Amino acid sequence: MNIFVEGIKEGVYLIWQMDPEIIQVTLLSLQVSLTALLLSAMLGIPTGAALALKKIPGKRIWLNTIYTLMGLPPVLAGLLVYLLLTYRGPLGQFELLFTPSAMVFAQVLLAAPIVCGLTARAVMALPQDVYDTAATLGASRRQASATIMREARIGIVAALTTAFGRVIAEVGAVMLVGGNIRWSTRVLTTSIVLETRMGNFSTAIAIGLILLSLSFLINLLILKLEKRTLRYDNTIQIT
Amino acid sequence: MTTQFKLHNVVKRYGSRTVLTIDQLALPEGRIYTIMGPNGSGKSTLLRIMGLLLVNDEGELEVLGEKVNWEKEQLLQLRRQMSMVTQTAFMFQGSVEYNVAYGLKARNMKSRLIRARVGEMLEMAGMSAYREADARTLSGGERQKVALARAMAVKPKVLFLDEPTSNIDMASAAEIEKYIRAINQQQGTTIILVTHNLFQARRLADEVIFLHEGHIIERGSAQFIFDDPRDQRTLAFLHGEAVMQ
Repeated sequence: MNIFVEGIKEGVYLIWQMDPEIIQVTLLSLQVSLTALLLSAMLGIPTGAALALKKIPGKRIWLNTIYTLMGLPPVLAGLLVYLLLTYRGPLGQFELLFTPSAMVFAQVLLAAPIVCGLTARAVMALPQDVYDTAATLGASRRQASATIMREARIGIVAALTTAFGRVIAEVGAVMLVGGNIRWSTRVLTTSIVLETRMGNFSTAIAIGLILLSLSFLINLLILKLEKRTLRYDNTIQIT
Repeated sequence: MTTQFKLHNVVKRYGSRTVLTIDQLALPEGRIYTIMGPNGSGKSTLLRIMGLLLVNDEGELEVLGEKVNWEKEQLLQLRRQMSMVTQTAFMFQGSVEYNVAYGLKARNMKSRLIRARVGEMLEMAGMSAYREADARTLSGGERQKVALARAMAVKPKVLFLDEPTSNIDMASAAEIEKYIRAINQQQGTTIILVTHNLFQARRLADEVIFLHEGHIIERGSAQFIFDDPRDQRTLAFLHGEAVMQ
């Protein structure tokens, strides 16, 4: 139990001290995860909506593939990106391996299927009434599609928070393609692994606390934004 | 009087099952039509085809003087002259005002004009006090009234109503009927109404179209259909419904 108390104490101390290395690691974690989330949203939301709404040949197979990729093991994603970016790989000429860009690439591979699959589910769960009502009120296809996305936004926000949870906590892929290089590609999760291996359990717990607090704050921000846009949304009332 | 809808040999199938077969149907403008018939007789399918929400498998359809080719541009241009209130009176997430303004915003109307029109429509529907309310917390009758106000805000030439007073109390239903009649009389809007309610059909309809197993088996003035039906199936339906109601 003592080790946890020590860890918490050290965590508070590290945050209080504003240790430059910890700050750099924290900022890099945020930068990599938020960039990956943004790119995943840009890829996953339109693709998910298209999968749900368009007549696409082999739609079920596509959906099944996306759902399978939602559970893609991070080390496998890391391995794929590693093989693509390695010196002899097809994208080797860009020399991206062991850079934050490679880490973003690997995280997009993990997060985009989640955003895509959950967006598709959220859109498919809507009743036909959404489109019919929009169309009969004179909405163009583009306007009706925008309305459908608006109606599905709780599900889309859920997709984004799930994807963020996946990337911020991810360690296998970023370790493989980032290399955990000090002042360059070391992030919070890889720091925890390193400190644990070195037997610095208190520091590992401290960094874990920072990671959890960060995740809590980002999710709080997303919920705040969600609450602002969902002023009229009702949830089930249980009495 | 211009004919707004012409259907010629229109067939609709779901899989191998034929649900609608209309040999000929022409509906002139400015009247209240009631489509009646037992469950599964094809009433809603006919309404959705005329409302351009469902593509017919065979036959020709002419809407507001244009032969329907189901091209995107034509669909939008025709749909913008009609509107529909579905049985569920679906409300978008948002306020009553957002819902009533929806069709006006889709037409890129100026926000000042939208506010004025929304106010006018809500007053006509007796729902002014609910302007800022969450549309999804309204009662069934209130939703129907907002859905009607929303559909009428765009000043349609044709208004489709699919069971607009089902599941609501008699007082609310009477108000809605009054509103429907006013729309037809004051603005000359053609109303095409699907209803199970015999008394409502009798009160509102200029003309009744009776469907059975996807075919029109009888058509005529409300008085003619209710007092002197020619087809035994119509008679049996009317008798059964009258007993039930």
